[in-house]
Amino acid sequence: MTSETATARSDRARAWFVLLLAGAFEVGYALSVGGSQGFTVLSWSLVAVVFFLLTLFALSLALRTIDVGIGYAVWAGIGAVGAALLGPIFFGENLTPVKAFWLTVIIVGVVWLKLSDSPKRTRTERPAQP
Amino acid sequence: MHWFYLGIAVVFEITVAISAGKAQGFTRPAWTTATLVSGGIATYLLSLALLTFDVGVGYAIWTSVAGVGIVVLGALFFGQRLDWRKLLGIAAVIAGVVGLQLSGAA
Repeated sequence: MTSETATARSDRARAWFVLLLAGAFEVGYALSVGGSQGFTVLSWSLVAVVFFLLTLFALSLALRTIDVGIGYAVWAGIGAVGAALLGPIFFGENLTPVKAFWLTVIIVGVVWLKLSDSPKRTRTERPAQP
Repeated sequence: MHWFYLGIAVVFEITVAISAGKAQGFTRPAWTTATLVSGGIATYLLSLALLTFDVGVGYAIWTSVAGVGIVVLGALFFGQRLDWRKLLGIAAVIAGVVGLQLSGAA
């Protein structure tokens, strides 16, 4: 019984690590899609394809253990915040206070939305999982 | 034109979310293919939109409006309830998009 709980706990810890990784991949995806200049720059385009596959794979892996709503919320939140903060660093864009304010409103809104989408889906989807 | 590209990218991102859910950990080939194809189209259109939008701004609008679309479609076609929490989230996303547009940041 105790060993079972310990296994479950380490599974959860691993799933959360994979989820954070998926969030980081999503940031890489957003930045490289931007850097690809409409997929005309080969290096950034290839990096974008790799990040696209990595983020999808890591997210689907994490969502086997973590609740769909919570998982999506964390993943989307990391992706959007990361892109907003790193965009200016990589591409010399400027993040003015007004822009940062409205971005915060959007990101808080989508994270909240994903979180409030979670409990019902869990109840209906969990029994279907093997 | 960048808003048009972003709008179509949103539609395909909603398709990604729906087909990824049905792909069940990418074990079903048809839905997995649908996920990858619509993801590719969404990505390409997003990249065209990001020629004009700042990366952080375009990406945030894209992912959030797709999130709103998924919830609204869920309510319209899959019998999920639109409670006040979801409406609040949708309102925040819309307010943010409008705010970015009006402030000239998007």
